[in-house]
Amino acid sequence: MSTALAARPGVVRRVGRLRHTSPGRLQLLIATLLALGVLTGLLAGVAGSSARAGTSDLGDRAQPLLVEAETIYSSLADADTTAAQAFLAGGLEPSTLTDNYDKDLARATTALTSAARRTAEDGSAADAVRTLSAGVAQYSALVATARANNRQGLPIGASYLSEASRLNRDTLQPQAKQLFTDAQREVEDGYGRAGALGWVALLLLSLLALMVALVLTQRYLSRRTRRTFNIPLVVATVLTALFLIGSFSILLTQQARLDRAANQGSLPVASIAESRILALQARGDEALTLAGRAGSGPYEKDFTVVAERLSVRGGPMVNSYGDLDPALGRMMTRASEGFQQYVTAHRDVRALDDSGDYEGAVKLAIGKQTTGTFEGVRADLDKAYENRKAFFTDEIGAAGNGLGVLTVGGPLLALAVCVLAFLGIRVRLEEYR
Amino acid sequence: MRIRVAVTVAVLAATAALAGCAGDSSDLPVLPDQPKVAATPPAPGGEQAAPPACDPRASLRPAGALPAPGDMPAGSYMATIQERGRLVLGTSQDTLLFSSRNPFSGRIEGFDVDMGRQIAQAIFGDPDKIQIKVIGYDKRVSSAADGSVDLVADTMTANCARWADVNFSSIYYEAGQKVLVSKNSTAKRIEDLGGKRICSAAGSTSFDNIGKVKAKPVLVAVARPAFGDCLVAFQRNEVEGISTDDTILAGMAAQDPYAKVIGEKFTDEPYAMAMNKSHPEFTRFVNAVLERNRADGTWKKTYEKWLGDFGPAPAPPGARYR
Repeated sequence: MSTALAARPGVVRRVGRLRHTSPGRLQLLIATLLALGVLTGLLAGVAGSSARAGTSDLGDRAQPLLVEAETIYSSLADADTTAAQAFLAGGLEPSTLTDNYDKDLARATTALTSAARRTAEDGSAADAVRTLSAGVAQYSALVATARANNRQGLPIGASYLSEASRLNRDTLQPQAKQLFTDAQREVEDGYGRAGALGWVALLLLSLLALMVALVLTQRYLSRRTRRTFNIPLVVATVLTALFLIGSFSILLTQQARLDRAANQGSLPVASIAESRILALQARGDEALTLAGRAGSGPYEKDFTVVAERLSVRGGPMVNSYGDLDPALGRMMTRASEGFQQYVTAHRDVRALDDSGDYEGAVKLAIGKQTTGTFEGVRADLDKAYENRKAFFTDEIGAAGNGLGVLTVGGPLLALAVCVLAFLGIRVRLEEYR
Repeated sequence: MRIRVAVTVAVLAATAALAGCAGDSSDLPVLPDQPKVAATPPAPGGEQAAPPACDPRASLRPAGALPAPGDMPAGSYMATIQERGRLVLGTSQDTLLFSSRNPFSGRIEGFDVDMGRQIAQAIFGDPDKIQIKVIGYDKRVSSAADGSVDLVADTMTANCARWADVNFSSIYYEAGQKVLVSKNSTAKRIEDLGGKRICSAAGSTSFDNIGKVKAKPVLVAVARPAFGDCLVAFQRNEVEGISTDDTILAGMAAQDPYAKVIGEKFTDEPYAMAMNKSHPEFTRFVNAVLERNRADGTWKKTYEKWLGDFGPAPAPPGARYR
């Protein structure tokens, strides 16, 4: 401590003394320019690579995780609906429904495997993935037992099915929802990291400082030496200007792309996903109400809430999607019109059931027309979802462009500026030898 | 799923007195994963507010001859049903032989459903004019009391506590509680199953009775929403046994070759149909239909159709009136 205090005035005095001689001043200028050059180079590398890492993490991990979480959620909801419908049909499950169920389960497990790779070791997302992996195996075992019993005509099959449905609705779907919410948060964080705003701001500041330092140095030299231009320093200034403009435009483009990816990609993807999950939930509510044979109960209440949410203007389904892309707007309009048709059919189903015509209600609910209407809604939502997913992928790809050039080119340019500045001032320094 | 498993120790039933319907033992708070209470709990039901003393088998006497089908006396509840065009029957869909869903046709059928169909036959002249509403075991009393169904026929024991909230018909079936265990169990009676987890439907008298069994250590009563769920729990080794009325157990054993029913009946469970208390004429009407069906062999035929595998039909339970 005491030595440091003693040494400090010495260093300061020595550097201070340099100010008073011309060669000393030139040495100070070299040191300043080199320091700023190195700092700028380092910052360019760090800002470029951190924005690049953030962008690719967003595009290759966070957003795919969101998509996978949605796949898990909607496949589970669909599997539950399908199983309940197969039960309603009576007799042997119709093969189209068992095929659907098998596909749902395959989709859910595949998505789970990739989601496991994309989540951190601990945290609620990882917990959700673990619970889901164990739960899906248990769920499929229960459904398999239900089917085997049903094949033998044993009513216990129905009890296995309701056990499976409880597991799906009470445990698996909430976990899938948790994973979806976590993934949404990771995407939001991902945009922050991809922007790397702190590093970018520092880089631009240090570039400006380097620029100012170069200009002031040249002004000093031209006054001192009556030589108007110092060629190496002029070249260094031009390079720095190019550097400034180049990195500014690369980063500006990246931010603009990120903004578009967020507002026109991630955001609509999440709300279309919500629409799809809610629609599937409504269809499941209908099947479970019928399977329970207890008249309009809690599932019907849930249906009403869901249908309300899907009809409300500014909600996940009825929104200004057309402003983003006219084709997307058409898909979503078709989907929401189809859904209203389905809700009308559902009301008829409830009216039949509540007036005592259970078999008529089942026939209408799982019949060709209602199924066709619902599948139409789903197909439109699927298309809309893919549309936005593709948009996101394009924008994120474009956002990453140029960041590589900045990461590698930035430090090289800074090095060149340093060398030129050194050369330019050394020539003047030689004159004092 | 574990959340739903209400492992309740018998002591819970003591709170049944708090429930709105004295007979709905299921209205007691179903606590998830209730830790086992170590102290010997009072037998469930044992501390319930004592129901008014009564003869649960004694119902309302039929009033004269049955009206012709389709011509119900004006102002009676039967006329209301006739006007509506269907009888609403509350039952379950997973009690094989009494009321369960036929997996091939998707229809609900069984002894209880046929009891309801015979009432529909008497009102409309058409047994198909019936709407089946599946109700939980714990909703049998309240569904009849609040009028959401006309008639409950759902392996329901007539007892005095329930008489306080609903009217029962005369007895149409005599059941008694037994226990179902795995084929390789060495137990001979339910008392041999001390400390084991025994499943029953929430809200059934069977559930309460499990706690009254004198076994050491006491049996752990596990409640599930319905008896089908108990069989699922049994097959998944979540419980060691199921205890309820012999006939329901027989239906389960028929579905699981690795299960057997042991011991003698340790309770009497007289089954009757439950109806709203404010329409005594409907109860009298139902009793008249039962009376006729006992006499003309319809009861015997129904018994043979569903329960014939367990031996020849006994004499139908005699009707008692107050």
